[in-house]
Amino acid sequence: MPEPVIMLGLESSCDDTAAALVRHVPGEPAEILASVVAGQTDLHAPFGGVVPELAARAHAEKLDLCVEEALATAGLTLSQVDAVAVTAGPGLIGGVLSGVMCAKGLAAGAGLPLVGVNHLAGHALTPRLTDALAFPYLMLLVSGGHCQFLLVRGPEDFTRLGGTIDDAPGEAFDKAAKLLGLPQPGGPSVEAEAAAGDPRRIPLPRPLLDRPGCDMSFSGLKTALLRARDLAMAGKGGLTRADRADLCAAFQSAVADVLAEKSCRAIGEYMALMPPEPAFAVAGGVAANATIRAALEGVAGAASLRFLAPPLRLCTDNAAMIAWAGIERFRLGHRDDMTLGARPRWPLDKASPAMLGSGKKGAKA
Amino acid sequence: MTTLIAFDTSAAACAAAVLSGDRILARAEEPMATGQAERLFPLLEELLAEAGLGWRDLDALACGIGPGNFTGTRLSVSAARGLALSLGRPAIGVSRLEALAEGLPRPLAVIEDARRGAVYLQLFGPDGPPELVQPGALPDLRTIARTGSAASLVPGGPVLTPAMPLAEAIARIAARRTGTPQPRPAPLYLRAADAAPPSDPPPVLLP
Repeated sequence: MPEPVIMLGLESSCDDTAAALVRHVPGEPAEILASVVAGQTDLHAPFGGVVPELAARAHAEKLDLCVEEALATAGLTLSQVDAVAVTAGPGLIGGVLSGVMCAKGLAAGAGLPLVGVNHLAGHALTPRLTDALAFPYLMLLVSGGHCQFLLVRGPEDFTRLGGTIDDAPGEAFDKAAKLLGLPQPGGPSVEAEAAAGDPRRIPLPRPLLDRPGCDMSFSGLKTALLRARDLAMAGKGGLTRADRADLCAAFQSAVADVLAEKSCRAIGEYMALMPPEPAFAVAGGVAANATIRAALEGVAGAASLRFLAPPLRLCTDNAAMIAWAGIERFRLGHRDDMTLGARPRWPLDKASPAMLGSGKKGAKA
Repeated sequence: MTTLIAFDTSAAACAAAVLSGDRILARAEEPMATGQAERLFPLLEELLAEAGLGWRDLDALACGIGPGNFTGTRLSVSAARGLALSLGRPAIGVSRLEALAEGLPRPLAVIEDARRGAVYLQLFGPDGPPELVQPGALPDLRTIARTGSAASLVPGGPVLTPAMPLAEAIARIAARRTGTPQPRPAPLYLRAADAAPPSDPPPVLLP
């Protein structure tokens, strides 16, 4: 009979420093006892994107504070925790290293087992944390740094059906905001501006829809947006509020259309497995966009799949998902020793050919 | 009698020492360009075993805070903070420049290579602040003894070799500070992060 587990999770792979405590009693829903996220939005805002060295500097001096706050919130001491899980990649290496070293210090000093977790597995297993979703399910992971369709068959069994061949949608939203003079992060600011716009007045392409498969591209969309912006500004000496709203609506609608159409194809491949409880889950910050979420929900509904989107605080980077993925690995008997390293690149699907960054350092994701 | 473990990964090595009272019980310095993240904790556990101690026998942790390699410095700082939290013991950060000066006569200038044509400089006896200095802006060091990796590259008095291994110096300095409250260790960068605001101006907005 598996025992109850209380897992401490640490996350520091991008621009959020996070610590969380999750308790799981077999046969019962998992319980998030504490989930602390210290963001760095203001730190990076002047630079129009995350600056890796600034992020690493902040993580190194915040991680232990986040852990202390999580323990205080949960009313626990480390002696009541069963193991320490930490994001060991993929991500910005400086931050990941700080997380791994802090976790080793916690585990060594408290005499606890250490479990290294793949950040993407954290996102991909979140529907099991929130809804105890059964395997196999289809997952669209769509964030600032990632975009891929995954068949999730087990805690360590992922098959990638397709993904972006260049930018991630969250990155494209940030670049769109920059082109249109909107604040960072671009996701919420473009979405807010799009609410007043007409998504049909300015035509933008739907990249790669003419090709078979589930691969996507968002880099060309950003270039098309730049051209459309310059066309809208021609002869006026600037960008009108109305044009900007229409450009935002057109951009958001193009991203939603591409994700929805590719989701249809991914669902087709997934249903060929004849899953007993078919479900389509999304995770990542871009899943917080209401237009995109509605489009994906529509696709799932049309195919009679259950649709799951975790609440925003569990969609964006957090440590509860790392603690949960740690629990799943821990229950499979996985332990890491004190030689655990950090991996900037760490694909979830070890079998499929690499899509991004397939240089000498290996695939990114 | 204070027992502590000190470690440093701010340069191309993994260095550590166990100090109990006045005695060094175990010590190691392994040169390596990469791999400190994987090696540090196994090395610390080997040294503790050699000293016949466990983590819980320690009264404090000490770590080097640079200046040096940014990522390397953060490895030790993060490890020390994690250990401090789990053991309920203080972690004490010690600068590399102070550690190099430990046990040497004053007045003394510690001059470390900061790359990109600059040096890290700190004067001791009387003590000055740690600084990032371009060679053209160095003070007159002709009568002052020098130590550090870049000591021989600038004009000055006699060049001294450090009095003891780096981790031992960090341990001895930290041991003197255990009686007073210390801030949590934080890297001493001395150099700002490379970060530039975006070059493309945003569009002019019309009503």
